[in-house]
Amino acid sequence: MNHHAIEIRNLVKNYPAFTLGPLDLTVPRGAIYGLIGPNGAGKTTAIDMIFGMGRNDAGTIRVLGLDHRADEVALKRRAAYVSPDLNFQIWGKVGKAIRFVRGFYPGWDEAYGVELMRAFQLDAGAKIVTLSFGAKTKLSLLLALARRPEVLILDEPTTGLDAVSKQQVFGELLKAVEDGERTVLISSHGLSDIERFADHIGMIKNGKLLLEGRTDEIVDRFRLAEFFSTNGTTFENRAGLIILKRNENRWHALLDQNSDAQSWLQTHGATEISLTRLTLEDLFVALAREEAK
Amino acid sequence: MTPAPKNFLIGPISPAADGALYQQIVDRIKREIAEGRLPAGAALPSFRQFAEDLLVSVITVKRAYEELERDGIIFRRQGLGTFVAERGHARSRETKLAAARNLLREGFREAAEAGLKPGELAELAGEILKEKNEPPRH
Repeated sequence: MNHHAIEIRNLVKNYPAFTLGPLDLTVPRGAIYGLIGPNGAGKTTAIDMIFGMGRNDAGTIRVLGLDHRADEVALKRRAAYVSPDLNFQIWGKVGKAIRFVRGFYPGWDEAYGVELMRAFQLDAGAKIVTLSFGAKTKLSLLLALARRPEVLILDEPTTGLDAVSKQQVFGELLKAVEDGERTVLISSHGLSDIERFADHIGMIKNGKLLLEGRTDEIVDRFRLAEFFSTNGTTFENRAGLIILKRNENRWHALLDQNSDAQSWLQTHGATEISLTRLTLEDLFVALAREEAK
Repeated sequence: MTPAPKNFLIGPISPAADGALYQQIVDRIKREIAEGRLPAGAALPSFRQFAEDLLVSVITVKRAYEELERDGIIFRRQGLGTFVAERGHARSRETKLAAARNLLREGFREAAEAGLKPGELAELAGEILKEKNEPPRH
């Protein structure tokens, strides 16, 4: 089977004040894929539509080759979704919630469920209403992971988790993709975590895909450039170059090394050009800021 | 070829340390080999297993392994795993030497820019050697 884990093509959803798309996303199998973007970029809208929450106006969504509408039942059997809004309080206790959810999934892995309970320090007898926010998040992750889904989609799973819990969660996610077949799509604002744990990233801005690819290649592609210029050239609005700061003759810019911006700078009077590596977070801020102009 | 050890450990890697994470993994493994803790034929963990141990993305470990393989320090056998190459020890020493040479060259250039003359440079090198006359870090 050569299907991608998730393949979104020309997806469009119109709202009165916001349009998502046309959006293309390609999530390879076996990857941890980080979906990032500023607030309101459309991440949750896109994720919700994969699971049939909201009808798209155009385009296709395929998960493991299955159409998200025509093959909805098969898709939901093989893919799991964890949202920060999930609420399991009506089952009272942790153990009861697990028994209830387990009943729906023939593929439920009992031993793995028990292992996750231990890893996440969850107690079957604990009342869900008394759980901390972090423990509730871990419970919803357990309920999704123990199904052994082929595709796991997580919307902001680490919001409000302390550093220890975050490491536990990412440790389990890395374990989940260990066989090279299972895939995790994770939307998050924790960019240092995404840079460390995600193999692939997609960045969405204003409902459109801005960048997608291997995390290391994307981070490696950009540099923070500092240069000086006394000849009055305006460096604004040049492809591959986003001006971040300027103090008279001294400039700071985000430079795309896949463009000809560097050689263009050299031939247009920029001197003392120095390039510095960026973190994913620096890159994100520079790209998100540009949107504000 | 010996099987991968149960608790495979290399020097610590951290986003706070110098260099990209994959580069740190490359350096740490080279050090293991250069210092004789990983002999020729020793198995390395699979990159997915190692990613889980190190808490980094699979791509990061994959990239580190690819670089080590390109340098002839490790080799992959389809279906068997990844192993330290026969010439791994010599090669990691060679690459370490090349890196040291480049860093020294850069250091000397900075010193020259600061106005140091060749005699003073040698003096500086001597001072640093004395400073560094402490047991190597592991």
